[in-house]
Amino acid sequence: MNDPKPGDRVYRHSFLARTAHWAWTLAMLVLVMSGLQIFNAAPYLDASDKSDPTHRVLAFDAHMNASNQPVGTTTIFGHTFVTTHLFGYTDNGQGGESERAFPASITLPAVQSLADGRLWHLFFGWVLTLAIVTYLVAAAIRKDLRELILRPSDLPKLLPMQLYYFKLRKEPPPHGKYNPLQKAAYTVVLFVFIPLIILTGLALSPGIDAIAGPLTWVLGGRQFARTWHFTLMSILIAYFCVHMVLVFMTGPVNNIWSMITGWYKLRDHDGVGV
Amino acid sequence: MNRKLFVATFAASTLAACSSDAKSALTDKVRDQLGWAENLNRVVIGTRGNARVYSDADVDRVVRVNGLATPSDTRYADAMRDDWRAYRLPVDGLVDRPHTYTLAELRAMPQLAQATRHDCVEGWSVIGKWRGVPLATVLAMAQPKSTAKYVVFHCFDKDDDGTEYYESLGIHQAAHPQTLLALDLNDAPLDADHGAPVRLRVPTQLGYKSAKWVRRIELADAFPNTLLSKGGYWEDQGYGWYAGI
Repeated sequence: MNDPKPGDRVYRHSFLARTAHWAWTLAMLVLVMSGLQIFNAAPYLDASDKSDPTHRVLAFDAHMNASNQPVGTTTIFGHTFVTTHLFGYTDNGQGGESERAFPASITLPAVQSLADGRLWHLFFGWVLTLAIVTYLVAAAIRKDLRELILRPSDLPKLLPMQLYYFKLRKEPPPHGKYNPLQKAAYTVVLFVFIPLIILTGLALSPGIDAIAGPLTWVLGGRQFARTWHFTLMSILIAYFCVHMVLVFMTGPVNNIWSMITGWYKLRDHDGVGV
Repeated sequence: MNRKLFVATFAASTLAACSSDAKSALTDKVRDQLGWAENLNRVVIGTRGNARVYSDADVDRVVRVNGLATPSDTRYADAMRDDWRAYRLPVDGLVDRPHTYTLAELRAMPQLAQATRHDCVEGWSVIGKWRGVPLATVLAMAQPKSTAKYVVFHCFDKDDDGTEYYESLGIHQAAHPQTLLALDLNDAPLDADHGAPVRLRVPTQLGYKSAKWVRRIELADAFPNTLLSKGGYWEDQGYGWYAGI
């Protein structure tokens, strides 16, 4: 059998991978929005075990200025920025603005409700956890992970691939189904970022701290676990943005269609296999 | 429309749709479905292990106060008089040996002192040194009947609508060796704001389980029927009964 050529349609994403991909997408959308809702109840992050304003790394506040106008502020590592309407003093989802870290448009629910935010967050935390565990176990059994995991032999190809992306090189290094940078990205998100965001979320819970105290301790304590949890969310949002840019730069219809149906039209330089 | 503008518009309209959905408030049906996660958490995480115990050096001198205001109830004012001499704590319901404790009796029982972290559901935490009677001791003396499944704590405080604060634990959670009927905070008797004269301390769960101003402990086979029956004041406001996460 001949190797597939550019222009050929190939079955690229298994039902397992497609289902897991969209489950993660939904779960992460709900988790980010409900997480921001929960964050609003204590809109600051400390690099310490218990709450400690002397170890504050991020804080959102609101105050009245000299002319009695409300001002929202964001303080990162002691540097304060005015962020009225964006952060600190924002839309409260009830037709006005309030002292509120993140605005109604990006929280779930829109109005301030810690109880409802927790209901969404704890439910979709399970969705994300079960989806990632099911995917990793099933993909390992099906040997799908071989074409996805970054190997030592891929390391020398990372720089040439990046140069190709920057148009400083005409051809990408020869590769399989995923190029070395894709492998690096997917390996890190599946084996590092998503497991860590689940673990840091668990670590800030008193019931888990009682069972797995070393986990909370290793992260620097409860408030620090909350800080890591938020940091990982920021990393995953940045990851999502890069993912979107690349999806749209490399044939969005073909890419999205393949993640729905599994069928993908090979482009120039695309590879198959490991 | 160019691609960038299309993407931006699409994102904005998606977010707007989400927020208007949320604005119409979740129906209780959706809440019930989402609430399944709590059952999973209660079974999978449960009450296992022990909360971390801190040294005196880690203790916060000022322990943050949150929740409902200090009770203005006349019963509370009466109990407070003459150094709490009129305070009574009945332990009753589904027990073989109901008993009503005075504060002096509670103070005469073996005490446990532990500096533990109070994790608020809002996301902050504070370390206090709590001293008091392990609830397990009180339960052992009361001898719960086999039908008793919950320990219900009735409190002196009420919200602005007059709804009384109450809280409940499963028997197993209540008998956890770190679950305390706390009498002292940071080597001094509890002050009114921190729940004097007797408050619950449940370091394995979030702070709202640690009810202040306890006036009666009732063993029950179900949550109290007279109230909204979700097992506690905050539970009736939509918070989970299992608060280990």
